[in-house]
Amino acid sequence: MKISYKWLREYIDIDLSVDDLKDKLTFSGIEVEAVQQTNELLDFIFVAEIKEKKTHPNSDHLSICKVFDGKDTMQVICGAPNCEQGQKIAFAPVGTKIGDFVIKKAKLRGEESFGMICSEKELGISDKHEGIMILPDDAPIGKSLGNYLGIADTVFDVEITPNRVDLLGMIGIARDLSAQLDVELFTPLLKEYQHKDLATYAVEIKETNLCTRYIANVIEGVKIEQSPEWIRECLIANEIKPINNVVDITNYVTLEFGHPLHAFDKKYVDGDRIIVRNAKKGEEFPALDHNKYVLNGDELVIADSNKAIALAGIIGGINSHITDDTVDIVLEAACFNPSQVRRTSHEKKIFTDSSYRFERGCTEQVAELVAKRALDLILTFCGGVHTRTVDVYPNPKEEEIVVLRPSRMTKLLTLVLDDEKIIDYLTALGLDLLKQDTDALTFKIPAYRQDLTREIDLIEEIIRLHGYDSIEAKPEKEEITDKISFYQRRKVQDYFVTQGFYEVLNLSFSDPYYLDMLNIPANDYRRSFIEIMNPQGQASSIMRTTFLPGLLKNAVYNFNHGQENIKLFELNKVFFTSDKKLGTEKWVISGVLSGKIAPIHWKNKTENINFFYLKGLIETLLALFPINKYEIVPSDEPFYQVNLAAQIRIGKQVIGTFGKFDPKVAGKFEYDKEIFGFEIDFNECLKYMNKKGVVFKEISKLQTVSRDLSFIVSKEYPVQSIINDIIQCNAKLIKEVIPFDEFTGKQIQTGFRSISFNILLVPETNNLTDDYINDLINSIIDKLKSKYHIEMR
Amino acid sequence: METKLNHVVLAAENDIKGAQSIHELMNIKAKYIGKKSEIMDLMKTLGSLSPEERPKVGKTINIAKQNIENLLENRIVKLKEMEYQKTLQDSKVDLSMPGYAIGYGSLHPLTIVWREIEDIFISMGFDIAEGYDIEDEFHNFDALNTPKDHPSRNLADTFYIKDDVLLRTQTSTVQIRTMENYKPPIKIISPGRCYRNDRPDASHSPAFHQVEALVVDENITFQDLRDTLNTFVKKMFGNHMKSRFRPHFFPFTEPSAEIDISCVNCGGKGCAICKNSGWLEMGGAGLVDPNVLGKLGIDTEKYSGFAFGLGIDRITILKYNIPGLRLLYENDIRFLKQFTMNN
Repeated sequence: MKISYKWLREYIDIDLSVDDLKDKLTFSGIEVEAVQQTNELLDFIFVAEIKEKKTHPNSDHLSICKVFDGKDTMQVICGAPNCEQGQKIAFAPVGTKIGDFVIKKAKLRGEESFGMICSEKELGISDKHEGIMILPDDAPIGKSLGNYLGIADTVFDVEITPNRVDLLGMIGIARDLSAQLDVELFTPLLKEYQHKDLATYAVEIKETNLCTRYIANVIEGVKIEQSPEWIRECLIANEIKPINNVVDITNYVTLEFGHPLHAFDKKYVDGDRIIVRNAKKGEEFPALDHNKYVLNGDELVIADSNKAIALAGIIGGINSHITDDTVDIVLEAACFNPSQVRRTSHEKKIFTDSSYRFERGCTEQVAELVAKRALDLILTFCGGVHTRTVDVYPNPKEEEIVVLRPSRMTKLLTLVLDDEKIIDYLTALGLDLLKQDTDALTFKIPAYRQDLTREIDLIEEIIRLHGYDSIEAKPEKEEITDKISFYQRRKVQDYFVTQGFYEVLNLSFSDPYYLDMLNIPANDYRRSFIEIMNPQGQASSIMRTTFLPGLLKNAVYNFNHGQENIKLFELNKVFFTSDKKLGTEKWVISGVLSGKIAPIHWKNKTENINFFYLKGLIETLLALFPINKYEIVPSDEPFYQVNLAAQIRIGKQVIGTFGKFDPKVAGKFEYDKEIFGFEIDFNECLKYMNKKGVVFKEISKLQTVSRDLSFIVSKEYPVQSIINDIIQCNAKLIKEVIPFDEFTGKQIQTGFRSISFNILLVPETNNLTDDYINDLINSIIDKLKSKYHIEMR
Repeated sequence: METKLNHVVLAAENDIKGAQSIHELMNIKAKYIGKKSEIMDLMKTLGSLSPEERPKVGKTINIAKQNIENLLENRIVKLKEMEYQKTLQDSKVDLSMPGYAIGYGSLHPLTIVWREIEDIFISMGFDIAEGYDIEDEFHNFDALNTPKDHPSRNLADTFYIKDDVLLRTQTSTVQIRTMENYKPPIKIISPGRCYRNDRPDASHSPAFHQVEALVVDENITFQDLRDTLNTFVKKMFGNHMKSRFRPHFFPFTEPSAEIDISCVNCGGKGCAICKNSGWLEMGGAGLVDPNVLGKLGIDTEKYSGFAFGLGIDRITILKYNIPGLRLLYENDIRFLKQFTMNN
């Protein structure tokens, strides 16, 4: 629904800024979807005077005017027949933008023109386009037209929730704001009917469930003409086309109260009878939208003694509408069943302002108000005499009474208000206080607020007006969980489980002798263990600094119990002495592996656990954190076999080691099979993990290119260093270098190997040409030749 | 000429019928309607015909050509279908052969239960607080109102590192550290490893695991404690489970209670596990003693709190019906394997 700020001010005296009003509406539950300035253009149009008018020497319909805008006199060529010397006119200077059209300095048939004298249509004030807009003689030169006419306005496009039928009219909105802002509400004074003649004009409601009230007022001798400007303006602001004074007034009152009305031309209502009945099957109805509808029989129609003259609450008939020749009218104000209106409107696909309102509901009492208001306006602006009123209201509704307990309100809202404040809010909304007892306020609900039927509805109204923000949130609980560590630990555990590992738990105690068994030297950090003053024995005399002895013992235990394939991991704490009183605790992720990588299988041959399986396992684990920048380099870990021991290094920091246990060490633990192990500092992993979130990058439409390169190279060069050098040839372009084959044998000289690489090029800006790719590959080969003395295959 | 054309079409039809592959069919196509085919030769003679005859003869040739094309097309469709059917036949395998999988391992049952407990409390709005295994005497005893001469401070009960540094005997230490570092409202559980100088047997281990809960806020009542425990017990062990409180004494809670839950084995009827009582002892609970709160600078008029502690090891062996703690720390794969289903 649209709310004109200017119109709104007719009912409440407020002077809020547009933004403030928008806020007030929004926080009282009326969501503002858009705000639009109307006639903004008029701020850039000025009152000016035509000082002089000459005919154009080269044209018989153009004239040359000297226009004075209060500061300068400019020459303007004008084509309007009604332009005369001495007139006050609306002047648009050079640079003004009217619609998509910008006024420029121009030459018209040899004469220069600086600006434009505007018509009402050009300014969007009316449809009048014959000639320029002539302003009264006393219009002040130099003042903006918007300022002078005062018709610039702000229109709020608001969404009304389905429960608030009363807000579909300007008065409803004004009433709600008046309650919220504590200002007085001015509603139109409604006169009692001057004339009542219940006998001679007949209204008959056949379906009293579908039409609960029907008021017909007869006005004779009206004069159909254009409506007064202010009514037209209101309708235009609401995007309703002005038609004539009677129709415009019914629309105006609809906008004002939110309850639709309709007017019939009395001479086409046969038999001076209004009948509200169900349609007949096959009955034809010619509607105002120029369509002829064939009715099924389940529609509700307004009929005269012969024919349907309106589809109740939806659209009038073209057989009875107000025309320029209308003299006597029948004014309808009625209530129709919302479901009935909705069903017929959707079935027939007729969606009108009237059906929109009726399907949301209407009130019998408001029907009477709109009848009186429209009658009053018609008599004032269309003339005529009110001759009859027929009001059929078969089952008058009872008044709704609701009791509110302030204590209940306080319990639900934690809001304490004294009774007077509560009464103020609710009476401002139109409720009447009937009785005030201790913790019991009895209210009569006004008819237009059918949504208020229970105590809780009143409590909602109070907090809505008092402001939801007045209820403060309690202090928040601080975040105590170390979420990154907490969830990362779970992720790591789950990862190992999916890789076929069993999680073990060993007690935190250890025996220093195990460190000797692992060849751990005296200055090693794992020797900084914490001793227990009162241990239960040598075997549990210190707090452990590594899990590997425990895990090896677990492996031996399981080996002795018939298991050949062993994958065990443990995630827990290790303890070191430090300068802190309580020592230092760290999380460590550790594991041992032996036997087959996977269970034996009929189709896929299962390999034994080997160094590169373990390396891949560790690399995937690091990717899981994710840790991006690390190196895996040889390690001198004393318990791993020489040449099969590696460490994970980030800069100079070693965050973990892995490898194959030296057979002698494994032997000390009474294990005679190949066994691998790893131990990684979980705290360091957390420190180095990439905690930045992922930001989506557009998927490249450019072609990626893949090239293979095979060459023979001395075994002394590690593959990683060759890969790094290849990438460095064009780090932006080369996204991956994957060794996919390694070969040594008879054809290859001892000490050398043949390696094949797959190089992936991912361009960022342009597709790569063959020449470019070849140049790049050649430069890579040259570099490798000079640095590694490779021999291409 | 029409006879000739009929012959060509008949011959083509014969060849096409016999074709067993798309490749063969393409050769047949070249032979009969290709550039050097008989039909194309006939086409070329059209120029020499009279203008009246030309359209008629041209039409006849075209019809023949069209016929051959249709035959070819139909055969292609048929061959493709045959090929498809053959693919289906060839792909037949013994679906009962095992799939290839690296095979799942398993979390330790204690971890499974531990996570379940954490998740239940997280869903109830609790945070997880963690602390040190190695603690000082203040956080383990003094701050918890434990008298200086309380037997639990003995070397026979508690492992010491130094005179006033020890292995924590309960995770209440984390509660104290949390209250030192955070202002109410506080709503935490602190699961973790604890240590007591007990000789290992079926129901004792020198290291074990405990979860403690602490809530400090305005208007915290004994009812909140009961509700929280009740909800936990039902979520952990099932809706039919009941819990009850028995008055007890702990230095840091007032009033204090021991918590019993319905026997997980017999559901309360009485059995060997619950020694025919129908109840199992689960841990201790109570409202935090105002002295404990007050020492930490919390306004005891404004705030109150509750705390309880439960044994994770005990919950684990009860939940899985494991006979004693020993199996939990043996790390036998045959034992661990049984918990694969629980991941």
